[in-house]
Amino acid sequence: MKIFLALFISFTFLFAELELSGHLDVDSQAYLIRADAKHKNSFTLKQTLEFKYEKDDLTAFAKLYAQEDYYDFLSEDEHNERTFARLDELFLKVDYEDDSIQAGKNIKFWGALELRNIVDGFNPKEFRDDMFSKTNKCGVWNASYSHYTESAEITLIVKLNEPDQKMASYPYVYYFFPEFVTYEDKLESSHGVDRPSLYLLYSGTTETEYALDFAFIYEYGYDSQRYFTPDNPLNLALGLPTEFRQNAYIASKFMIYNTLVVDSTLIKLEALYAKVDVDAAVGDYSHVAVGFEHTVENFYKSAGLGLIGEYYNYRTYDGEKYSDLELFETMQNDLFLGLRYSFNDSDDASIVGGVVADFEYDEEVYYFKYDSRLGDSFRVGFDYYYIEPSKDEKTAYALLGRHQRVALNLAYYF
Amino acid sequence: MKKILILLIFIFGNVFALSNYDVAQKSEAVMSGFKDSISKMQMTLINARGQEKVRTMNMKVLEGKDEDKSLMEFLTPADVKGTKFLNYEHVNRDDDQWLYLPALKRVKRIASKNKSGSFMGSEFAYEDLSGFNVKKYKYDGDAEVVTLDGVEMYRTNATPISKYSGYTKLISWADKKTFLIQKIEYYDRKKQLLKTAYFGEYKNFGNVYRIGKITMKNIQNDKTTILIWSDEKIKNGLKKKDFHKRYLKK
Repeated sequence: MKIFLALFISFTFLFAELELSGHLDVDSQAYLIRADAKHKNSFTLKQTLEFKYEKDDLTAFAKLYAQEDYYDFLSEDEHNERTFARLDELFLKVDYEDDSIQAGKNIKFWGALELRNIVDGFNPKEFRDDMFSKTNKCGVWNASYSHYTESAEITLIVKLNEPDQKMASYPYVYYFFPEFVTYEDKLESSHGVDRPSLYLLYSGTTETEYALDFAFIYEYGYDSQRYFTPDNPLNLALGLPTEFRQNAYIASKFMIYNTLVVDSTLIKLEALYAKVDVDAAVGDYSHVAVGFEHTVENFYKSAGLGLIGEYYNYRTYDGEKYSDLELFETMQNDLFLGLRYSFNDSDDASIVGGVVADFEYDEEVYYFKYDSRLGDSFRVGFDYYYIEPSKDEKTAYALLGRHQRVALNLAYYF
Repeated sequence: MKKILILLIFIFGNVFALSNYDVAQKSEAVMSGFKDSISKMQMTLINARGQEKVRTMNMKVLEGKDEDKSLMEFLTPADVKGTKFLNYEHVNRDDDQWLYLPALKRVKRIASKNKSGSFMGSEFAYEDLSGFNVKKYKYDGDAEVVTLDGVEMYRTNATPISKYSGYTKLISWADKKTFLIQKIEYYDRKKQLLKTAYFGEYKNFGNVYRIGKITMKNIQNDKTTILIWSDEKIKNGLKKKDFHKRYLKK
């Protein structure tokens, strides 16, 4: 099925007049505080290429992504498996009057919040790139049918397989496991990776005084939450070489994401409840996040100021099974307070920053990002992160260690 | 006899004088009836030192009785290519606005209460770009007949009804023969002159006019933005469905 789709879409591209766009990024990061022996910096060259063809109601789209890591390129000893090329999207879409059909590989976005979108689990995240990146997701093969009414849409999606999630290796700074633990990227799944997952999405907008954008999603299939198991637990306990694997299990999942507009404030809600089919390690769980974003226009001259607040709560309902710690969940009982300063200038410059306070394990994350256009074809980005991990518990951030980084990104767009 | 003559002139003068509201209504009428429009828009941002930056976009507009819908797709600069802005205008409540960010594949809701925010770093506020609608303003008194660049014009005063408008007063100059707006002065919340817009290159599509160029000069910061519409086609048969949120992702 996948080969047939790929050939069919590629054939369309060969005979079509393509619209080409993309960007070339140079990403440099310095880790001022990090775990000993891990890389103190990273330099990555990234290339994104997009091809689009449109004729009447037909759209064909392809997106390729590749990155080359400095250590992979120069040194055999310091190799950290961050160099790869990936086909993110390759799909055909046909739009009818009130319906559309889409088939191929693509990326979807679900969510409303600023810091983290807990319902955005359709595509796996790329583990070989910056862990704070929001754009680096892996495409998945799927087919969908949508029906549209005046102010709503109902979509049925069949995800055709679960891709393996590759990971960078030690000594890359965002490889979370200790040096003696290696990662086997072959996904362990309860019913085989080609078992389809089904999604039913209903979304729309109300025509009320305070408008509401709503979305309900029901999923039956592989959950986006995964867990890791060692091949030899005894070795792990003794600090001897061990291999970790990622496991996928079946769940019924109900998700919502809503945005309510009240004057100059957006009130947001994302929530999910997962009922897990029989699995030895993982039980039912819920994740809820509420937030707001209030915008003050013309705060200083034409610049706008956004005030952001978000609270996240994660719970598991089977005390005998994995808890948030074993599942590496970072947002269990966390409050995020942030600011967005939009310069509203001709370079679309902005600064976003904030603090995340974890009340469960006493962790803190501070960050700020600056982003602006340079000339007509370049963008420059600068960011700073500081993570103060838990001192008492083995959280994901505790595995990473106390962390401080600065990063500079220069991108050429065409 | 002389007194009667003066009285008659005064009475007739007032009978035939047009109110600010009448002129505004006629200005709206000559621009109405295009049903829908597809065009390309070029936006040139000029800073106080005269340096220029150019943005281009595709525009689609669906004319409503009082509430237009519009879909804008940015073409350049390259980093915002594919970004789309969808606006459903409303008279009695806030507009519905969404922004599509292609890098994230995300449709983002925008809070539109405050209409005074800058549009894409330009000297245009969001409220300047929505379709002209007399219901959004309060008019008192009669229009004055004045001369602008040797042409007779009606000069009218309007006060925005919305307390979220960035303006306290708009003074408009409309051609006395065609009622096409030629110039608008915008006064800020401190009642100081903020911006002046010059309208030109109107295109006549039979019984409806469409604007071809607006030059917006900000008096307070010396910046200018020029909007130029090209390749405009009206009455294309667009429907409400063509402005569904689904087209943000297309």
